Amino acid sequence: MSATKSNVGREGEPPPSPSFLDHAYEFLSSVTLAIALLAFIAVASIFGTLVKQQASPEEYLSFYSESTYTIIRFLGLDDVFHSKWFIGAISLLVLNLIFCSLPRFIRLLKSRATVKIPNEKALDAMGLRCLLPGKKIDDIAGVFKRYRNAQNNEGSRVLERGSLGRYAVYMVHLSIIIILVGGLIGVLFGYRGPLTLAKGETKDSVVARGSTSERKPLGFAIKLDDFKVSFYPSGEPKDYVSNVEVLENGKSVLQKSIRVNDPLNYNGVNIYQSSYGSNPVFVFDVGGERVELGQGGVYQKDKLHLLAVRYEKSVHNFGPGVQIAYVEQDGQPQTTWFLKDVARLREKSILGTTVRLDDIKEDYYTGLEVSRDPGVWVVWFGFALILFGLYVNFFLYHRRIYLVEVSKGVLVAGTALKNKEGFKEEFEKLKGKLGCS
Amino acid sequence: MLVSNKILAVVTFLYLFLFFAHLVYFATKQERVLTFVWVALYVTFGLHTAGLVVRWVESYRLSIGHAPLSNFYESLIFYGWCISLIVIVMKKRLRFPLLTMFACLIALGFMGYASFSSSVDKKIQPLIPALQSNWLHIHVFTCFIAYASFAVSFLAGLFSIFNWKSVMPPEERLEELNYRSVMVGFPMLSAGILTGAVWAHYAWGSYWSWDPKETWSLITWIFYALFLHARFARGWKGRRIALLSIIGFASVIFTYFGVNFILSGLHSYGAA
Ligand code: HEM
Repeated sequence: MSATKSNVGREGEPPPSPSFLDHAYEFLSSVTLAIALLAFIAVASIFGTLVKQQASPEEYLSFYSESTYTIIRFLGLDDVFHSKWFIGAISLLVLNLIFCSLPRFIRLLKSRATVKIPNEKALDAMGLRCLLPGKKIDDIAGVFKRYRNAQNNEGSRVLERGSLGRYAVYMVHLSIIIILVGGLIGVLFGYRGPLTLAKGETKDSVVARGSTSERKPLGFAIKLDDFKVSFYPSGEPKDYVSNVEVLENGKSVLQKSIRVNDPLNYNGVNIYQSSYGSNPVFVFDVGGERVELGQGGVYQKDKLHLLAVRYEKSVHNFGPGVQIAYVEQDGQPQTTWFLKDVARLREKSILGTTVRLDDIKEDYYTGLEVSRDPGVWVVWFGFALILFGLYVNFFLYHRRIYLVEVSKGVLVAGTALKNKEGFKEEFEKLKGKLGCS
Repeated sequence: MLVSNKILAVVTFLYLFLFFAHLVYFATKQERVLTFVWVALYVTFGLHTAGLVVRWVESYRLSIGHAPLSNFYESLIFYGWCISLIVIVMKKRLRFPLLTMFACLIALGFMGYASFSSSVDKKIQPLIPALQSNWLHIHVFTCFIAYASFAVSFLAGLFSIFNWKSVMPPEERLEELNYRSVMVGFPMLSAGILTGAVWAHYAWGSYWSWDPKETWSLITWIFYALFLHARFARGWKGRRIALLSIIGFASVIFTYFGVNFILSGLHSYGAA
């Protein structure tokens, strides 16, 4: 498709030879460029799935030779979707879209204002045509109730249907730009980051993921009241729920159960359930007193100092155990292991006090994902527009019917640029109703 | 063994039977056989639908309760169902026995793989939390309708390349069919990708994360956009367009299988 430009000079004068700008415009608005760019982006994306993205140098070197890795780094194949050339290709596609669509769109708007009635010869040449002898336009107008009157002249009429179909391509092209702009807004003004909370814990900022790991204030605080995981009999997680409270200036303003697929949205910040984990809690009996220690937890009473140093799920195959550090009478630091499943190692005497490990509990913490994306509504709008545009483009189509009074009667002729098959059927039906052959 | 598995195994044999019925038609060229083929196709489709419904009911019996769209077995069965659906919906334009024969062959391939391969787990599995969403249904439905339409486009392309004289539909009809199937497939794939993105936003907090499955569906989508532009803006026809529809389907198949088996990512459970 060439952008037809009126290079018609004055009579006798040769048309001016196209300048560099003309060439650039021609290139930027060509469908050939669009096809090349789409192919390029597709191939680049294939590389982006074949080569692991954003991995560490060690990972690459365990997979590729040193020289291959150098090439991968040089071409940016280790992070295709953020590389300059990929973003450059997408920017060029956007330019291409604008340069291609805008002039066509303007031309379409202009052409709408001036629908020309083809002359009799052109009408005669149309494939779909029939002549109603001895009739006037007004006699048959009733048959075309479902068509819009595009033009009403003395002795001729232009009828249209599905004219929205002609604008659909521009809706689709515009929505691509809208979606990309929405994405850009998210990249520029949004952030994402993980947030873990133990029961009772409160946090009011998140470390954003990305090159600059800066702390982003949420603008409010979030407190985990409770966290529950339930499992299927097969052991797979069925549901996990964080019951949280949103605090503003220390006051609770909102309570919500965050589940997978059911995030909390507050002041433009979305908080998602993404994972969970657990920390061991060691339940001791120290001289008759019940004591719960987390990892690194400390107990102190009189001379007795206990510190939970290390946790092992399995100590030499004897089951879970915890290493406790304490200070001897003479000031010497000492460590000893308590094993939950071995009776002999469950109870010990430290500085004359009996210390017994009663249980090791799992204390779940929740893994939340915090994200702020002010562009997301722009993206949603783009999604809606593209789906609407595609539907209109493929399932409505524009067709025109001309009614012209000629000496013998009324000439009915129709054209459609798309779906010619369908229009032919439609026209045959109309012919039946009109009773013309 | 679940009742639904048995029904679906029978359906698999029905597709095989349909394939042979087509061969009988080509041998005898009797219109009666073709009428019979269509009746048999409706019966097969009805039973196939019943198999899916029964599986859905059975999942509630097991107190798991979800639509049969969530593991690899179910997605294969659903792909087969979508192909039948497309063939029936597009009956008016798909009257070519060669096309319905190959469509049945493709459905047979998916059904047979699902029913008789030992590597495909046929059990009803509970849904992990991320999949417990209404977006799952619409996402999987739109994607597989798209995949099925692209299968039809692939067949149209294949036939116009091989050009088997006597049994072939005329070239223009093949081009029209090719375009019509992409015309259904492209908006459906778009809807599939977009609903997937919306779902990902609500489940993970990000509508796009360049995970391999997402990226491959985008590659496929870009490819069909390229197809449309080559066809309409550049006026490509014949062999070149046929070739594009074959490459496009290869991309579909890679998006569906290749990513699960070769690359891994969020979708590694093969839901879609
Ligand atoms: C990913 C990006 C794009 C998408 C999804 C897209 C989508 C579409 C769709 C759906 C159609 C209608 C095809 C039909 O009616 O069968 C179309 C037509 C068209 N597109 Fe695009 N397009 C994209 C990029 C571009 C670009 C970059 C250009 C720049 C040259 C372009 C130029 C055109 C032209 C000239 C037409 C034909 C309009 C007509 O037939 O009147 N497209 N596009």
